[in-house]
Amino acid sequence: MSREPSKVIVFGTHAFLTVFTAATIYPVLWVLKLALTPSRAFSMDPVPVPGLALRDGALHLAPVSLDNFRNVIFTYDAAGSWLFGWQLMNSVFVALATAALGLTLSATAAYAMSRWGFPGKERGMAAFLVTQMFPGVVMLIPLYLILDELHLLDSLMGLVLVYSTTSVPFSVWTLKGYFDTIPQALEEAAVLDGCSRLQTFWWVIFPLARPALAVTGLFSFMTAWNEFILAATLMGDPKSFTLPVVLQRYVTDYGTDWGSFAAGSVLVSLPVVALFFALQRHFVEGLTAGSVKG
Amino acid sequence: MATVRFQNLRKSYGDTHVLTGIDLVMEEGEYVVLVGPSGCGKSTMLRCIAGLEDISSGDLFIGDRRVNDVAPKDRNVAMVFQSYALYPHMTVRENMAFALKVAKRSAEEIRVAVDEAARMLDLGHLLDRRPSQLSGGQRQRVAMGRAIVRRPDVFLFDEPLSNLDASLRTHMRVELMTLHKQLGTTMVHVTHDQVEALTLADRLVVLNKGVIQQVGSPRELFDRPINTFVATFIGSPSMNLLPATGHGATSTVDGVEGTLDVPSDGAFTLGIRPTDFTVGEGPLEADLIVVESLGSEAMLHMDLGEHRIVARVDEPQSFQSGDKVRLRPNKVHRFSAATGERLP
Amino acid sequence: MSAARVSLLRALLVLAALLPLPWRQAIAAQVDEIVLWHAYQGREEAGLEAAARTWTEQSGVRVKLVAIPFGAFASKVETAIPRGNGPDLFIAAHDSIGKWSAMGVVEPTPQLSADGLRPELMEAVRWGDQRWGLPLAYKSLVLLYDPTVIQTPPTTTDALIAEAHKYTGGGRYGLAYQASETYYHAPWAHAFGATPFDAEGRLVPLDSDAHVKAYAFTARIARDEGIVPQQPTYESVQRLYNEGNAVFVIAGPWFVSDVDRPIAAAPLPWVSDAGAPARPFLTVDVAYVAGQAQHPDEASAFTTWLAGPEGARIRQEQGGQAVSSALVPTDDPLLKTLEVQSKTALLMPMNPGLQGLWESEAKALRRVMRGAATPSQAAHEAALYWEVVSRPSPPAVSPWPYVVVMVAVLLGALGWLLAPLRDPDFRAKLRRHAWDYVWIGPATVAMVLLVLTPFVVGAGVAFFAHDQGEFTFIGLRHFTDILFARDWPLSSPLSFFYTLGVTLLWTVTNLIVHVGLGIALALILREPWIRMRAGWRAALILPWAVPNYITALIWRSMFHVQDGAINALITLVSGAKDPVQIDWFGSFVTSFGANLITNGWLGFPFMMVVTLGALQSIPRDLEEAAEVDGASWAFRFRHVVWPLLKPALLPAVILGSVWTFNAFNIIYLVSAGEPDGTTEILISEAYRWAFTRGNRYGYAAAYALIIFGVLLAYSRAANRLVGRKVL
Repeated sequence: MSREPSKVIVFGTHAFLTVFTAATIYPVLWVLKLALTPSRAFSMDPVPVPGLALRDGALHLAPVSLDNFRNVIFTYDAAGSWLFGWQLMNSVFVALATAALGLTLSATAAYAMSRWGFPGKERGMAAFLVTQMFPGVVMLIPLYLILDELHLLDSLMGLVLVYSTTSVPFSVWTLKGYFDTIPQALEEAAVLDGCSRLQTFWWVIFPLARPALAVTGLFSFMTAWNEFILAATLMGDPKSFTLPVVLQRYVTDYGTDWGSFAAGSVLVSLPVVALFFALQRHFVEGLTAGSVKG
Repeated sequence: MATVRFQNLRKSYGDTHVLTGIDLVMEEGEYVVLVGPSGCGKSTMLRCIAGLEDISSGDLFIGDRRVNDVAPKDRNVAMVFQSYALYPHMTVRENMAFALKVAKRSAEEIRVAVDEAARMLDLGHLLDRRPSQLSGGQRQRVAMGRAIVRRPDVFLFDEPLSNLDASLRTHMRVELMTLHKQLGTTMVHVTHDQVEALTLADRLVVLNKGVIQQVGSPRELFDRPINTFVATFIGSPSMNLLPATGHGATSTVDGVEGTLDVPSDGAFTLGIRPTDFTVGEGPLEADLIVVESLGSEAMLHMDLGEHRIVARVDEPQSFQSGDKVRLRPNKVHRFSAATGERLP
Repeated sequence: MSAARVSLLRALLVLAALLPLPWRQAIAAQVDEIVLWHAYQGREEAGLEAAARTWTEQSGVRVKLVAIPFGAFASKVETAIPRGNGPDLFIAAHDSIGKWSAMGVVEPTPQLSADGLRPELMEAVRWGDQRWGLPLAYKSLVLLYDPTVIQTPPTTTDALIAEAHKYTGGGRYGLAYQASETYYHAPWAHAFGATPFDAEGRLVPLDSDAHVKAYAFTARIARDEGIVPQQPTYESVQRLYNEGNAVFVIAGPWFVSDVDRPIAAAPLPWVSDAGAPARPFLTVDVAYVAGQAQHPDEASAFTTWLAGPEGARIRQEQGGQAVSSALVPTDDPLLKTLEVQSKTALLMPMNPGLQGLWESEAKALRRVMRGAATPSQAAHEAALYWEVVSRPSPPAVSPWPYVVVMVAVLLGALGWLLAPLRDPDFRAKLRRHAWDYVWIGPATVAMVLLVLTPFVVGAGVAFFAHDQGEFTFIGLRHFTDILFARDWPLSSPLSFFYTLGVTLLWTVTNLIVHVGLGIALALILREPWIRMRAGWRAALILPWAVPNYITALIWRSMFHVQDGAINALITLVSGAKDPVQIDWFGSFVTSFGANLITNGWLGFPFMMVVTLGALQSIPRDLEEAAEVDGASWAFRFRHVVWPLLKPALLPAVILGSVWTFNAFNIIYLVSAGEPDGTTEILISEAYRWAFTRGNRYGYAAAYALIIFGVLLAYSRAANRLVGRKVL
């Protein structure tokens, strides 16, 4: 509707959006405030703004410091290695490699499922999605045994393999949906232009599927970036841990070191949030094609 | 340049037979138009030549080579798609150069080929644009250009003009003819538009339900349609078909008064093209329902007994709906009432 | 074979050999280094590091210290060590010895010298007729107090209560401790005689008089007297003390390093009502030689040295530990207090399978503290609960009938799969599509290897009962136990059907929130007259971008009764004079609501984005036509937008419901099942059986298989309902 509705509706809608958005970012602001508050423990007042505190009905200034960040970033092991640096590198490597490998695995499979009528295709697609229903609780120990047999324990490659595989079903689902929307005539044109299947895929389909590839790549990246249970079990050395595992160290049986935990959380979240915002214009397109076409 | 030869070619999907026993030779340098209603199998025939469809049985030759099992890229054919199928992420130049790049031609060779095709199609100023920045007609020309660059043995056009508006379509028809004259390559063109078919074709192939009905020059098909299907499909407006009965030297249209000088015996189908009437006098009398004015001429839609017929006239002013109009057919076609085949 | 081919082959081999590099290094580790796993942090970690350095200087053997996150420690030693992937030695509490010795996680160490170690602490490493490692240090609860306020700490609970009353009021509390935790309840309980085992080593029934009296006592001191804050967490006790708002604190020695004000320690007081001293649990940190250690001799040598006087002194001085060595006296008042306290403290039992006991008691304690049950009711329920979770494994049955059925089913499935191969057309089709399989090959192989196989193996455990590393085949017994609700009445939160009901309610309510908010926001955000549309959208997808275990923990703390932001906000908005204190995790409705708010918050952005996309594919002229026809907004939505939106949203909704059904993180981290396990869903319940109720892996696996079955049935039904294949 090109007409603008009445002033009341416009104002009311914006007011609603403001309140709702405030509520949405409220917990996230708390993470920030905790990270910047120089104390392990806290009592929450209603104002999640760093440097402000509400006491006895009045706003007061509260101390702000970067100590927690310093604590988290400058951790060294007994041998003097800069642990945070190692762990950051591990996380970056594992997440990027997972995105790359996950995309390769799922894009090829999704393309085959989108285009060619090989026997068993329907059942294969269903089987991929059925794995989404597997409860992960029972899989940890067998997975450990399998990776041990493959000599992939304690190796970042092992983690990458596991993560990229877990991300495959959702990625295949999203990508297949998107590939379905790319006109078949383009591939026929490419075939007549002399392309092999691989060339068609690489030069024609891949560039055209960028929105979906960006979205699925980001999700694979997030799978690897956020996971800690497998990482803690499969890796045996603080130097080979990823950042989320390290965050768990601040949550112990005795209690939680909220300051460090929050500072670590901010550091872990920042790259993902940045990627989210950078890629979000692709989200609507990349995700929906999949769900519209099923 | 090459001939294209079909030998008893069949194509079926499971139990659905799309093409049944096609035998046809397209000569070198010929402009062949495949025409027929949608679903008649004309696009499938084209895609068989391109190699995009497998052949169920029979043989297909391009030149002297049997190509049943030859990959599309090795057939040296180029195709222009109905949707143009331009690569959206490439510029016009990249689109046109793509096939040569895949074939690993030198950069210089590619540049020359693209520039020449661009000059032929007047695309020079568009080379750095993307398909989304082009108008429909420009896209169509880029699609042609992409085909030309490859210097194929056979051009395949799959309804290339159907997405254009009427005036552009006329213009592009002329361009296609010019192009054919310049290149002299075998061209196979699929359309459901019989005007397009009649203007462009050296030879027309009329298909229905996977069977070739008639092959011939536009003139032949127009003058001597082999059955009622071709008769109604070729020519616009369609030929009027009326059930009639012959009485030796004369015949009558069933349920209508007036005797025609058409020698025939027994029941048959009488075909008269709208252009083949003399209006104002004659043995038949019809009720004028609507006058469809086309400027200098007009189509008269009339009821002849219980049959709706159309006739063309040059002076529309003198007719009004509700008039009684007398008619005389100048040229008639006779078809078997049972089979629809042309009677000698 | 051409030369080029050979060199390529060789390159591939070299590459393959390089891939699992860290593992190969582990094999090749030099004999001059041993690996030690621990979960120490802060000062204790520093002490251990200092000790290891000294040892390296003396012996030339390097000690590689590997700090493992506390939460992952147990599962890590239990999986890695039996497979030969563990360290040479590790440091952990003594109370898992029973389990670990049975699993081969730890080695018996009769050869290690106990000279100079306090004999009563040696009890902590004795299990069966063996010794397992050496005790390093011990910990227990003590009474901590603010020396700027209190000169002489009270020695009886009556005195403590009286003293505490003086300092209570106006946001200040006389006493602060985690009263609802069994570990903190234990000192009182043991004083009353509610110990796990009696003098003859028999289990004390959980509904004994002593237990009832102990619950009543805790309820009085920590609730009725009003001197203890509500539901304090470790952090809130710490904060209260640091603000000067808590005078007495009951906590362990670790608490001292977390405060920044003067603090003093005294032994826990005499429990006046019981006429006996308070007896906290004593836990002992033990250095164990790991099973299958690469260098057991070096590990033993280091263990002996670390426990001995030299190692003990360094750990005491630099790590602040109360060490087990009798040869290292201290004048630190805190350590001295701990030493005194250790005389009355009760050594934490090492029997495997006691996890369920703690859980039973914890439930009872929380119910009493909430006022949801009288002490005797709660004790009675705890006894019933314990009876079920401690039930011995079902009897073993012969696996042969199952094997025969299995083989028959497998052969049948194989035959069914291969039957089409008899058809030559099908074979031809297969050949024609041979290359297609290459394209899906890598993903399929990876899925089979790393997803399907672990699941099949893991689910296969459902037919076995697990008891301390031993698996016995029991057939379908777990399934029948679960599905026929053998142990609990249907209405009990522990019955499968109750949990299934909660899970379904959880899934449905979440979907309503997700889809409702998602559609509403998408409809708003697509209106061209909304200012800064991209900005709103960016802010609104934030919950999706931040890792959910972080935000789930934040939400949990926001719901805290006293320190949480939600109650503070409600106080502010409602303008109430006294702080609003809604106990969010105290009743099913609010606790479930807290979970729902958290997961609703996490999940709506996905639906919003999907809806935005789906809306784009709906031509607006349809709606405009309806508007021209005079249709109201609601009518247009109902009859134009919704019918077109529905098919686009359904696949996402179905996938989303599967995810929600298994949203373990949220339940586990936010409500943790409280109150009384009523808000557990199936997946978190399975987790509890596997990891917090005595490692009933088989039972947990049966749960997991049933979950899978439910979801499979759901997706088939959904497909039929939608009329096309979605999942």
